[in-house]
Amino acid sequence: MQPNGVEILLVEDNANDAELTLRALKQRNLANQVHVCRDGAAAMEFFAGGAGPVPKVVLLDLKLPKVDGLEVLRRLKGDARTKAIPIVVLTSSREEPDIERAYELGANSYIVKPVDFEAFARAVSDVGLYWLLLNHPPQ
Amino acid sequence: MNWSIERKLPLFVTILLVVVAVVQLTIGYGEVRQASRALADKRLPLATRVMADLFQTGQGRARITALAKDSAIVAFLRSGGRRGREPALAAMRRLTSDTATNAGLELRDFGGHLLLRTGKFAGADSVPISPGKDSARYGPLMRQDTTLFIAIAAAVGQEGTGGIVQQVARLALNERTRKTLTGLAGGEVTLLLGNASGDPWTDFATIVPAPPQGVLTSPVPVRYERGEPKRAAAAPVAGTPWMVVAELPTRTVTAPARAYLVSMAPIAALIVILGALVAWWGSRRLTKPLVQVTRAAEAITTGDLEQRVNVQRDDELGRLARSFNTMAEQVSRSHHHLEAQVAQRTKALEGTNAELESFSYSVSHDLRAPLRAIHGFARILLEDHNAKLDPEAQRLLGVIDQNTRRMGQLIGQVLSNLLQNALKFTRGRPDTRIEVGSRPDGKETVYFVKDNGAGFDARYVDKLFGVFQRLHSAEEFDGTGVGLAIVKRIVQRHGGRVWAEGKLNEGATFYFSLPDGEN
Repeated sequence: MQPNGVEILLVEDNANDAELTLRALKQRNLANQVHVCRDGAAAMEFFAGGAGPVPKVVLLDLKLPKVDGLEVLRRLKGDARTKAIPIVVLTSSREEPDIERAYELGANSYIVKPVDFEAFARAVSDVGLYWLLLNHPPQ
Repeated sequence: MNWSIERKLPLFVTILLVVVAVVQLTIGYGEVRQASRALADKRLPLATRVMADLFQTGQGRARITALAKDSAIVAFLRSGGRRGREPALAAMRRLTSDTATNAGLELRDFGGHLLLRTGKFAGADSVPISPGKDSARYGPLMRQDTTLFIAIAAAVGQEGTGGIVQQVARLALNERTRKTLTGLAGGEVTLLLGNASGDPWTDFATIVPAPPQGVLTSPVPVRYERGEPKRAAAAPVAGTPWMVVAELPTRTVTAPARAYLVSMAPIAALIVILGALVAWWGSRRLTKPLVQVTRAAEAITTGDLEQRVNVQRDDELGRLARSFNTMAEQVSRSHHHLEAQVAQRTKALEGTNAELESFSYSVSHDLRAPLRAIHGFARILLEDHNAKLDPEAQRLLGVIDQNTRRMGQLIGQVLSNLLQNALKFTRGRPDTRIEVGSRPDGKETVYFVKDNGAGFDARYVDKLFGVFQRLHSAEEFDGTGVGLAIVKRIVQRHGGRVWAEGKLNEGATFYFSLPDGEN
């Protein structure tokens, strides 16, 4: 683990969902190096310049203020410096066009947020464990 | 083959002209032919009559009759040829020197025995003729090899005391005679002389076969074949057993008719060609505007609404072209108007569709997020702050937990299913109305989703909630037929009921009830 680095970038405008996500990650001891962006513009800001820390995974909501989640996805995957970063779409939308478009743009996973809190917490912690501990990214 | 009017019209006119020309030529040819034959049929008997008269000349008969009365001849025959030979011979020589050098005279008794002869003819050449009692008589033509003879005989004195004087003359057969006679009858006419009873016959140059009896006995000219088809007329030579035949080759008779054809056919052909050209030109002039209108109409049919016709005429075709242009103008204008309207409506519909989609999205997204928050934070309270809560607070949080869980399932599956159905079956409506609501009903709460869409036939209401049961075709509305079956199962699992009301094309209302209080 990178000291002072960011391992998970959470892009989520809903404060409640963000808090619930953080709690689910904390229960697995994965919440230490999570950075939260409240809108798409902030997420783009985070990567601006390419000099910042590189997270091991981005959890991206689709319905975001300012810059839409799909647009954030498009820009990150379209940029040679950021396209290798795994992006997991975490959204309430189960709309087929959203899913298709996300994969077209290069999303690494697409997860529909379960309404049930326990199912939600399990999904989030599974995603965190997988991408932070199991997955082996290029160095 | 697909013939256009432009081709059909001149073709028709040409055919008409050809038919008229052929009919005219045929009738003309027939009439000329008829006329020339009538002319020939008048000319031939005339020629035969002239000839017959010519041969009938009484000169030879008068002379021989006179000789029969000569006293020296009478005396010689009365003596039975025994006396007066020299004076008789002198009388005979007087006559032969007068007439043609080819003539000869014979004196015979009534028994036919030759008594005296003068001239160049041997007795064997001659055939005795039985003369009439009072005048000389011609005998039939006689033939010896290539020579023809004419004999005329007269009786001298009484039976037993007289005899016969007979003149035999060679008929001069040569081309000059033939030509002379033909000239008399008019060119092309061939004249023949012969015995009424048959051979020999001559054309005055050579001996020819006798014409058939049909020609000789017919009172009017007839057609017969002698080397080539001919028309012929016959006439007897009065006072002789001879006949004259005048004949004309049929080709000569029909020559004027052929000449008529030869001169008229090119004129007729010229008229046909000129007529065809005029018809072609006229047809083009007539059909050109029609072709233009047709092409323009075809272009409009394929979508080019700006096609117009340029015809500068004042007749019916001009009016047609102007009417066509006006019509095309109107079609084009209303088409543009319609297109604009369609575009406008499409835009409006797209807007409505987008609104409906965002509504559906709200249901699935915006309703879930707060629910998740309620559920999540209630759980956090129960798990993280359990020690600070008294049993009643813990029970209340448990109720919240249960209800949000249930609400989550309902939103996720039941409500979302019913809303999707409502959206689907109102797709064709210009004004979609979907109502969602609930009302308490005794110990349960009744929720409903009401739309003004396609509805359903109330008779099939039992089938609505069955698995794979569909009341609409896949072409009308897509779907798998499991949505309402899922709704029914979930609601029943929560202790509730589902039912529906509806009418075909007047919308449907789906209800479900859930028991109040803790479950």
